[in-house]
Amino acid sequence: MMPLVLTDPGEEAVIRKVGGSPEMKKHLEDLGFVAGSTVTVMNTIGGNLIVKIKESRVAISKEMAGKIMV
Amino acid sequence: MDKQLRIALAGNPNSGKTTLFNKLTGSNQFVGNWPGVTVEKKEGKLIVNKEVILTDLPGIYSLSPYTLEEVVARNYLIEEKPDAILNIVDATNLERNLYLTTQLTELGIPVVIALNMMDLVKKAGDSINVKELSRQLGCQIVEISALKGDGVKEAALAAIEAAKNGKTIPQHSFSGPVEHALAHIEEVTVHNLPEEQQRWYAIKIFERDEKVLEQLKVPADVRAHIENDIAAAEKELDDDAESIITNERYVYIGQMLKGIYKKKGKGQLSVSDKIDKIVTNRILALPIFALIMFLVYALSMGASITDGGISIGTFLTDWANDVLGGAWLTDGSRAILEGWNVAPWLVGLISDGIFAGVGAVLGFVPQMLVLFLMLCLLEDCGYMARIAFIMDRIFRKFGLSGKSFIPMLVGTGCGVPGVMATRTIENERDRRMTIMTTTFIPCGAKMPIIGLIAGALFGGSTWVATSAYFIGIAAIVISGIMLKKTKMFAGDPAPFVMELPAYHLPAWGNVLRGTWERGWSFIKRAGTVIVVSSIVIWFLTSFGSVNGQFGMVDDLYEDDSVVTDEYVAQVAERMGIPEDEVEPMDDSILARVAQPVSLVFKPLGFGDWKPTAATVTGLVAKEEVVANFGIMYAYDDQDGEEELEENGDQIWGRVAEDFNAFSGGHGRLAAYSFMIFNLLCAPCFAAIGAIKREMNSRKWTWFAIAYQCGFAWVTAFIVWQLGRLFAGGMNVIGLILALVMLGLICWQLFKPYKEAQKLTVQ
Repeated sequence: MMPLVLTDPGEEAVIRKVGGSPEMKKHLEDLGFVAGSTVTVMNTIGGNLIVKIKESRVAISKEMAGKIMV
Repeated sequence: MDKQLRIALAGNPNSGKTTLFNKLTGSNQFVGNWPGVTVEKKEGKLIVNKEVILTDLPGIYSLSPYTLEEVVARNYLIEEKPDAILNIVDATNLERNLYLTTQLTELGIPVVIALNMMDLVKKAGDSINVKELSRQLGCQIVEISALKGDGVKEAALAAIEAAKNGKTIPQHSFSGPVEHALAHIEEVTVHNLPEEQQRWYAIKIFERDEKVLEQLKVPADVRAHIENDIAAAEKELDDDAESIITNERYVYIGQMLKGIYKKKGKGQLSVSDKIDKIVTNRILALPIFALIMFLVYALSMGASITDGGISIGTFLTDWANDVLGGAWLTDGSRAILEGWNVAPWLVGLISDGIFAGVGAVLGFVPQMLVLFLMLCLLEDCGYMARIAFIMDRIFRKFGLSGKSFIPMLVGTGCGVPGVMATRTIENERDRRMTIMTTTFIPCGAKMPIIGLIAGALFGGSTWVATSAYFIGIAAIVISGIMLKKTKMFAGDPAPFVMELPAYHLPAWGNVLRGTWERGWSFIKRAGTVIVVSSIVIWFLTSFGSVNGQFGMVDDLYEDDSVVTDEYVAQVAERMGIPEDEVEPMDDSILARVAQPVSLVFKPLGFGDWKPTAATVTGLVAKEEVVANFGIMYAYDDQDGEEELEENGDQIWGRVAEDFNAFSGGHGRLAAYSFMIFNLLCAPCFAAIGAIKREMNSRKWTWFAIAYQCGFAWVTAFIVWQLGRLFAGGMNVIGLILALVMLGLICWQLFKPYKEAQKLTVQ
C-alpha cells in the first residue's frame, strides 16, 4: 500500500483504503473514491493532482492524495 | 380542484441540471434562498403544464449531512415531500450519478430518471441498455439531451405522471450483515413511520446520522440496542458503518452495470484530457491563465476599439456616457424641462441630480455585461474550475483555498456577485475570510476614483491604476496571513477537492442568462439606490442654513444683508480656510455634517469636508465619490452646462488645487492616501447587503466592515505619515505611530503560526 501521491501519472491503481477526517472521507467516498475502484493520476501540478475516478476528473490537493492508499 | 403538483429536480453538479431546468421552465422562474441558509433556491412553472412547480435542488453527490447543499436538498425531500423527483443522470458518468439515484429511490418518492448526454455515449461507440437499467432501478428512464432540448418534454410529462400515480421501490440490497442490522432497526425504531420512508430512515440510523437520530428522538436504550447490531456489522465487514453503505452502493452499481453498460474504447485520453495536459501543465498553466485574464480585461475594460484597443465594453461605455447619459438623458431632459418652464431648481434636481447620477452608473453597464459574459463563458466551458485548481497552491500559502480566487475575479467587475460567488467554498472559515477580503479588489465602480486621482494629481500616469490592483491584492494577502493567525480563523484551509467538468462548447442560453442575471442586479441598483441617493446629495449640497436663515445656499449668499463680512470670517474659521475661499457650499448641510467627521481623516492627510463627504457617500455607491467631486468642485459652474466626464477631467485642476491647499502642499500624497482609503474601506451598501446575506450573521457582518475600515485607515495612515518623511513636513508623533502600526502588522505577519493545541471533543 502506498499513498496516491506516489503513483506515476497515467498508471492505473486500485484504491485500498481512504483515510482522513470523517467528513473528508465521506466526501471522497461520495465522489467515488471507494476501496476497489480504479483511479488514474492524469496530471500533477505543484504536488496537487488531477485524477480520473469512475468517469470523472477530480482535482485534489497533495494532503488529500496522501490519505488515499492504493 | 387538484392540489398543485410539486416536482423536485435533483442531480450531480455538472450533470446539465441548470440547462434542463431552464429548458423545462423557460422564463417562469423565481429565485430565492432556502430558509435559513444562503443556498440559492430556484423554482419555476413547467412549460408543459403551468400548474406544476419544479424546484431546482442544489447539485449534490449524495444525501449525507456534510455540505450545506446536501442538507438543504435532503431536508426538502424529507420534510416537504415533493410529489416526484426528476433525477437528471449524466450517462457519460453513469456509476457516480447512479450513486445518488440509489439514495433517491429509498425516499419513498416516485423517481423518474432523465438520462442526459446519451448522444455522447453513443458517439463514443458505447451502449447502455436503458430498458434493463430501468427495470433494475425500479424507475422510468427518459433519454434526453438537455442541451438540444431532445426528450425534455417527455421527461417532464413522465415526471408529472409519476407524481400523480407512480411508486418507486428501491431494488438494491446490501450485504447480509447490513441487511440484518437494517431489519432490526426498522423493527425497533421506524415501524411507526410511513412504510415507504422506513428504509431510508433505517439506513440513516445505521450510518449513525446525527441529524436523523435527533429528529426521530431515538431513546437512549433503543440506541444502545441497535448500536450492538451496527457494531457487529462493522466488525464483520471491517469498516465504519457509513463507508460500508457507500462501498456497497458502489459495488451494487458496478455489478448492475456489467451487463448493461457496454464500453468500446477504454483507457483513451479524451479531448478534455488532452486540453488539460496543456492548460494545467506545470509550466504552461500560469502563462495561459495570465493570457486568458489579459484577454478578458482587454475585451471588457481595456482600451476602446476606437483607441486602438480591442475592448468592446469600453467602446460601448464611452458611448453610453457621452451620448446616452450626457447628451440624451442629462442635456435632453434639461432642454425638455426648460421648454416647459419648470423652475430652475427642479431642472437642476432632475437633470443634474437624478439623470446625471443614474447615467453615470448606467454607463458602466456595457463594461460590466462584457466582463460578466466573459466570466460566464469561462465558467460554462469548464475553465473556471481549472483556475481554482491552478491558483490553489498559491492561495494556500496565505491561508485561502483556490476556490477563493473566483469570487475575487468576479469582484473586479462588481463586489455583489463577487461576494455571492463565495458560495462554492464549503469550509465556513475559508468562506468568511473570502467574503471579508473579496471587496479589496478594485471593482468597476472604483475605477473612476482611480481615474480621477491619477488624472488630477499624477498627470494621468498609468502606474496609479496598476498600483491600485497591487494594493488590492496585497491587502488580500496580508489580511489572509494576519487573520489566519487569529483564533477565529486558525486551521488549515479545507483540503482541495473539486470535480473538473469536461470541457465543452458553451451553452449560449446558460451563458446569456447568467450574464443577464448578474448585470440586471447592477442595473436595478442604478434605478433604486442611486436615484434616491442622488436626490439626497443634491439636496444636502444645495440647501443649508446661512447666518440663521435656511434655504438654498446659493440664493442666500447673493444677499449681502445675510452674508456679512463678520459672518464670512466665522465660516472661514469654522472650515479652517482663508476668508476669500469661502463658498456658498461651505454652509450646505453636507459641509456642516462632514466637517466634524473630517477630523477622522485628518491623520490620513485628507481631513477636509469635501473628500470626507465624498468618502462617506461612497458607501451608497462608489460611483458617488466621483459624482460628488463633480457636484462639489464644479459648483460655481452655475449653468451646469458641462457634463462631468466619467473621470471628471474638467475639475482636475480644482481638485489638485484643493488637495494641495488643505494638505500643506502634499496634494499627491494626500490624494493617494484618499484613494487607498476609498479602495479598501467598507464597500457600497449593495455589497454590504451581500456580505450580510452571505455571512448570515449580524456579528460577522459588522466584524467584516469594521475590519475593512480599520485596515483601510491604518494603511492610509502609514502611507501618509511615512510618505511625508520623504516629501517633507513630517509629523514626529504621526511617524512614530505609523512605525508602531507597521511593526504590529509585520509582527502578526511573521510570527510563527500556532496550530490549535487542544482538540475539542464533541
